[in-house]
Amino acid sequence: MAAEATAVIENKTGIHARPASVFVQKASSFKSKIQIKAKGKTVDAKSILMIMSMGLVKGTEVTLVADGPDEAQAVQELKALIDSKFGEE
Amino acid sequence: MAEKMKGKGVIAGVAVGKIMLAGQNLDGYLKDYKPKKKAEEKKIAADALVAVAAKLVSTIEDLNKKDMKEQAAILEAHRMMVEDPAMSGAIDEQVDKSGSAPRAVLDAYESQAQVFEQMEDEYFRGRAVDMRDVGKRIAKYILGIKEPEIGEGKVIVAGQEIEPSVIAGLPSDKIAGVILGQGSTTSHAIIIAKTRAIPSIVGVGDAIEKIADGDPVIIDGETGEILIRPSDEERAAYDVKIKKQEELKAHYAQLRALPAVTSDGVKVVLACNIGSPADVDAAKDYGAEGVGLFRSEFVFMGKTDIPKEEDQFKEYKAAVEKCAGHLCVIRTMDIGGDKPLPYIQVGTEENPFLGYRAIRISLQRRDLFMPQLKAILRAGKFGKAGIMFPMVINVAEFKAAQAMVEEAKVELVHEGKEYGEVQLGIMVETPAAAVMTPVLAKYVDFFSIGTNDLVQYTLAVDRGNAQISYLYNHFNPAVLRLIKRTIESANKEGKWAGMCGEMASDPNAAILLMAMGIKELSMSAPSIPKVKERIRNISSAKAKEILDKVMEMEDGDEIKKYLATIG
Repeated sequence: MAAEATAVIENKTGIHARPASVFVQKASSFKSKIQIKAKGKTVDAKSILMIMSMGLVKGTEVTLVADGPDEAQAVQELKALIDSKFGEE
Repeated sequence: MAEKMKGKGVIAGVAVGKIMLAGQNLDGYLKDYKPKKKAEEKKIAADALVAVAAKLVSTIEDLNKKDMKEQAAILEAHRMMVEDPAMSGAIDEQVDKSGSAPRAVLDAYESQAQVFEQMEDEYFRGRAVDMRDVGKRIAKYILGIKEPEIGEGKVIVAGQEIEPSVIAGLPSDKIAGVILGQGSTTSHAIIIAKTRAIPSIVGVGDAIEKIADGDPVIIDGETGEILIRPSDEERAAYDVKIKKQEELKAHYAQLRALPAVTSDGVKVVLACNIGSPADVDAAKDYGAEGVGLFRSEFVFMGKTDIPKEEDQFKEYKAAVEKCAGHLCVIRTMDIGGDKPLPYIQVGTEENPFLGYRAIRISLQRRDLFMPQLKAILRAGKFGKAGIMFPMVINVAEFKAAQAMVEEAKVELVHEGKEYGEVQLGIMVETPAAAVMTPVLAKYVDFFSIGTNDLVQYTLAVDRGNAQISYLYNHFNPAVLRLIKRTIESANKEGKWAGMCGEMASDPNAAILLMAMGIKELSMSAPSIPKVKERIRNISSAKAKEILDKVMEMEDGDEIKKYLATIG
């Protein structure tokens, strides 16, 4: 069973390099396989290149899917990170 | 006999070393590469990723130890690109197609680079260069193409264009010279070379392809001559030149502690232009008295976010302290659409040099300007600091900036942070500002004339454009009149005028400027001794005579020629 959550990118500049690297570091701290879905694409949430190349601007809705031993915690914490706007405006 | 080629010498000096090619063509190596079975090739590629990442980690540590944070940050981004989980999968797929590990690596990073290139955001488009740089680095590792090892003697870095990562990865005392195929004198590599007086030649063109890795070469950064695989006789001829160069260096070293004062006692402060606090140390060796231009861009470049007040404060404080009682003038952010940053959305402009840039951005972006002003004010507590606003065209802009400085002080008081009194001035680099200096002088503490832009804007000449660069001349009478007006306006109001453009490093210009009443000349540190020598060997009365004569002349080239005869 996989865990899932949706979130909307709220920070002004979207997922630029800094938020992307914070996000990837967080995602990499979990054992589960984690994917991020948006704009009809699905990519590895532990890959900064894949995330950056999705061009996640403000207002984009993303779905987080985790599959593994810590899946529930993973989606919860990653969603919280997006909701916190990565500490930006 | 050596094979000879010629470019444009941009940083003088003779250098001897072995060529290290940057931006190298790997086609030949790829053709010779004998791939094994696909499974083995995949393993080779995977091992290379691990090895290259490990090497990057140790280089980054070294750079951090040497306080070269900017360069470390570039390589840190490269490390993340090497270790990215998406790349190993993409490389495996490419191995299935081509069967060759190095080719697969190049193809995988190339296709990622293309994804970035198609993105709307300029910042992301810029990352394509880094992706290709990283792919090449890994492919070179697999192909066994060694980076020149330390201890092998000095290298002369050559390439059509030199990527920042290449310069970042080499210890600066190992780089004897730089050769660039392209002609820009303002590329990243040349700017670094200038502050360290590394002999450099640009504009060699496609001839650069004829140089091979490891070739022994001699370059003359004055004449632009390059000798590849010189014979012993040729080598000996240059040894004479090198000896002269050493003697001149020794002579200049004697001048270090002496003031720049004319035979009849008129003194000019010779300061240096810097890009980071570490540059002050090197500048002291040339006898610099303080900093006339600290380009604060380096605290902004390569960052994904607005630099924090605290981080900026550390850098400015370091520079102010290193100036040890001399003035340190810090120029506020001078960036525009030509160098986009992720946190400054300039958008596409037809003409970035006449667009949304420098003070025009700062005045609208409080979130950007306030932390910088507060950081400089706080650094002012540790010595003598000045704040200089770039691109000002009218009194209103200066007043608005001045008001922001006052607000910054109030905020600092509320936050319980200490600050020092700092001088406020503007860079006079637009004809509008130069014309208005009689009025502006009532408000500012100082003017610093930025001749690179002032000449370009006054004459409407882009000096990077080879077809018209002959028109670019800081002795053009129109330019000289604006400069004279600026200096006289300052002196009349009891303020001071200095210069931080390239003209300040021209000894002939120094004579004229001194006669006009300039108080400070700021330049890249290696130019200080020759300017100082010129000033010490003339009287102010003689300089005034020369100036009077020059101001009567009608043509810039005539003035240039005349000044060359009085040396």
